[in-house]
Amino acid sequence: MNRNVVLGAFFASYACTLHASANPLDAFGLGSRAAGMGSAVAADTSGFDANYYNPAGLARARGLEISIGYFRASQYLKTNGHDNDVDPVKGLVGGLVAPGTLLGVPFAFGLAIHLPDDRISRVRALRQEVPRWEMYDNRNQRLFLAANLAVSPVKWLQLGGGFSFMSSTEGKLDIGGFLNIFRAEDSQLRHQVDADLTAVRYPQLGARVELSEAVALAVVYRGEFKLKLDLSAYLHGDISHLTTAIYALDTHSVNNFLPQQLVVAGSWKLSDDLHTNLDVTWVNWGAYVPPVASLNVGLDIPPPAGGWPNGITPPTAPAPAKIEALKMNDRVVPHVGVEWRALARPTWEGFARAGYEYAKSPIGAQTGVTNYIDRDRHSMSLGLGLRALAPIAELPGDVRLDAHAQLSELVTATTRKADPADLVGDFTAGGHIWNVGATLTVGFP
Amino acid sequence: MGPRSGHVRFVSVAFALTAALALATRIAAASPEDIFGYGGRSSAMGATGAAAGEGYETAYLNPALLSTMRARKLSLGLTGATFHLNAEGEGLPGRVSYGAAKGLVIGADLPIPFGGILKDRVGAGLAFYTPTDVVVRGRILYPETAQFPLLPDRAQSVAIRVGLGVDVGYGLRVGAGFAALAEIQGSAIVATDATGRVGTRVEDQLVATYAPTIGVAYDIPVRFPTKLRAGVTYRGTLDARFAVQIDATKLSTLNIPLLNISGLAQYDPAQLAFEVASIGDRITLAGGVTFKRWSKYPGLLEPTIQCPAENPDCAALLPPKIAYDDALAVHAGADWALPVSSSFTPHVRAGAMLEPNPLPSRIPTAQAYDPRTQGLADVKARYFNATRIALTWGAGLRFADPFPPLELDVYGQLHVLAPTSHESVDSSGAVTPLGKASGHVLAAGAVLGVRF
Repeated sequence: MNRNVVLGAFFASYACTLHASANPLDAFGLGSRAAGMGSAVAADTSGFDANYYNPAGLARARGLEISIGYFRASQYLKTNGHDNDVDPVKGLVGGLVAPGTLLGVPFAFGLAIHLPDDRISRVRALRQEVPRWEMYDNRNQRLFLAANLAVSPVKWLQLGGGFSFMSSTEGKLDIGGFLNIFRAEDSQLRHQVDADLTAVRYPQLGARVELSEAVALAVVYRGEFKLKLDLSAYLHGDISHLTTAIYALDTHSVNNFLPQQLVVAGSWKLSDDLHTNLDVTWVNWGAYVPPVASLNVGLDIPPPAGGWPNGITPPTAPAPAKIEALKMNDRVVPHVGVEWRALARPTWEGFARAGYEYAKSPIGAQTGVTNYIDRDRHSMSLGLGLRALAPIAELPGDVRLDAHAQLSELVTATTRKADPADLVGDFTAGGHIWNVGATLTVGFP
Repeated sequence: MGPRSGHVRFVSVAFALTAALALATRIAAASPEDIFGYGGRSSAMGATGAAAGEGYETAYLNPALLSTMRARKLSLGLTGATFHLNAEGEGLPGRVSYGAAKGLVIGADLPIPFGGILKDRVGAGLAFYTPTDVVVRGRILYPETAQFPLLPDRAQSVAIRVGLGVDVGYGLRVGAGFAALAEIQGSAIVATDATGRVGTRVEDQLVATYAPTIGVAYDIPVRFPTKLRAGVTYRGTLDARFAVQIDATKLSTLNIPLLNISGLAQYDPAQLAFEVASIGDRITLAGGVTFKRWSKYPGLLEPTIQCPAENPDCAALLPPKIAYDDALAVHAGADWALPVSSSFTPHVRAGAMLEPNPLPSRIPTAQAYDPRTQGLADVKARYFNATRIALTWGAGLRFADPFPPLELDVYGQLHVLAPTSHESVDSSGAVTPLGKASGHVLAAGAVLGVRF
């Protein structure tokens, strides 16, 4: 069979299914100011985006801020020249910063959310041979919800931390009754379910130090999390009065793995109107758990006394599948950004921004039976901002409107299989992603 | 601009804000607060608050009252409840075992510092409750298992509530908000491929559901020693389903139907609360009623096999259809402030509530396949519930300068289930005793708030 047809068929069936998730903010940023600066803001943030980039930055806020925005990342990812219809990542972003003082110490509470348009999260377990854009389908369509606290014990130091929230799924299923194999819809089955969405919380911690009025450094740690999907099912019943059956299925998988990360960042104020930032993020991809389900099946269907009717072949218990290890490597991802206050008027200001980041693919060469596709990514971003100062009496603070556009290029390369008889065979993959969005912030004194 | 035109403009802005929030949200809710109330103060006052609520708690109780907040506050608390529920009768276990419900309360008071005509008129509140173990528990058991479907597992659900309140003037406040919850949708496909290997593809996704909360409060302009306030709150229906399709049609040549593993994991009925409160410098008294539309409750179970369109009368089993009754809950509570000094004020609180039983006394049987007779048999749906009478109590401590700006609220609740007999009605109309429900629920919590 033509391997392109096989690959196409795999992707066709894949595209017909819904796609899953992990961390959209790592790939596309939180809020338009940060996204326009290549996500290089860990030492230069004080708004709602600090809930992701550096919770310590919350303590720099001077008044209550409320932000809301939207972004859409359209993914044009291809294999062998065919678009793989990878879902866009799109949804609302928003949050708030509520600063104050506690016992004379500047203190702030922050909250941030990214709410995808279609779902909170999705978990999917596929067979390991099925090709998938591992970093862009299953990882990027999920909720981000974080709450943080921050303090500034001395003027030059801010400390912050908090938690992000997700949930895993555990479920037990029991189905019993009468299975009519001649008229399936007349089967008399019933079920009971005991399912829990269990809470997953993972930490983020940050610190920021002002070395001078012009230079600040920051360090941020983001914890690891795993979304698990553990399901067990027990089916038992009477098969058309011919025989009885017991079918027990137990599946476990880890999906939406987010590796722990460490960010070291700096911000340099070159003039009153211009500053530049550098963030370097270590990502512990080496701990990655592939989203492949382990499956245990027990099946007991004694043959009927008179044998099976013609044309009926009962199922047989499958042998447990051997899960191939997915070799991933830790990566260091640099981000650079620059912000220029291009216009400064008594009642409004205008900003221009630019950024760049490079994410080398952490996935090892897919020369075996697995097909976790990924490519090195170069992301270039531009942003614009408009700030109106006390525009009306009811808004004595400021109103900011920021917009961004980011182009990510995934370098096209060919994967060659070690086995010339591999079912999928060699393939060439690459593509690009357009990420655009806008964020509105209302600040109060 | 004259004062009158300014006020008209302000009223327009206020209504636009609340209407926009109400329209921008869709529907949802969560259950622990429906059983116990929400927060440290309201839970001690018989779950009152549509007129007498304060702070972040009013994101649930009545978002219009969010406009009364004047200071930012962050609150964190722990709550818990234990269930001692009994189902006694033939074939029943007596004590029905349920685990304790434990959770974390997080609240934020956020007065919005607008200027101009909006100054000191707008407030927002965040009210979270998250069980320590689960986000949502979905237990949909076979009906012959003795169970209290409206009580313990409904207390095991996350609650995320956000609201905005506006002081319109003339003693009128309006507010809107929403509650969010998650439901599960998914599929599991088991199939044998051309090489004879059996594989699965399992997907599930969490989908957000939302419910609106809309409130109005009015300071009644009558001569009275204290402020009299009336409050009305509407809360929309919460329904978090569990829906997974299992497709094993390609597993073998056995003709296996599509399996619909679905049910209702969480449900709060639509409800309308009305309350009147007398709010004095030292004593606050509140009393009200809440109408809960349980008659719209579709029940826990859904059919395992859905009849195809071309054969709508197929022989697949249907779950028992129970006609739940609407309920009118009654709440009353009191808060007595005992100021020791300008920087320290203790409060003592008490309350009571009556939660009528929406589960009818006669419950239809379910049908199940009996392997002994190789045919269908009636099985009793052993669902139990009872009218709850709750006594609540609690205390609060308010500190101000020179002390740290802290607020501590603690509460306890005792819910007693009035002994209730249920009967079973089979498919022929014969009535037989099902059993008697009784028991009690103990709940307690503590919430610490810090103003900043």
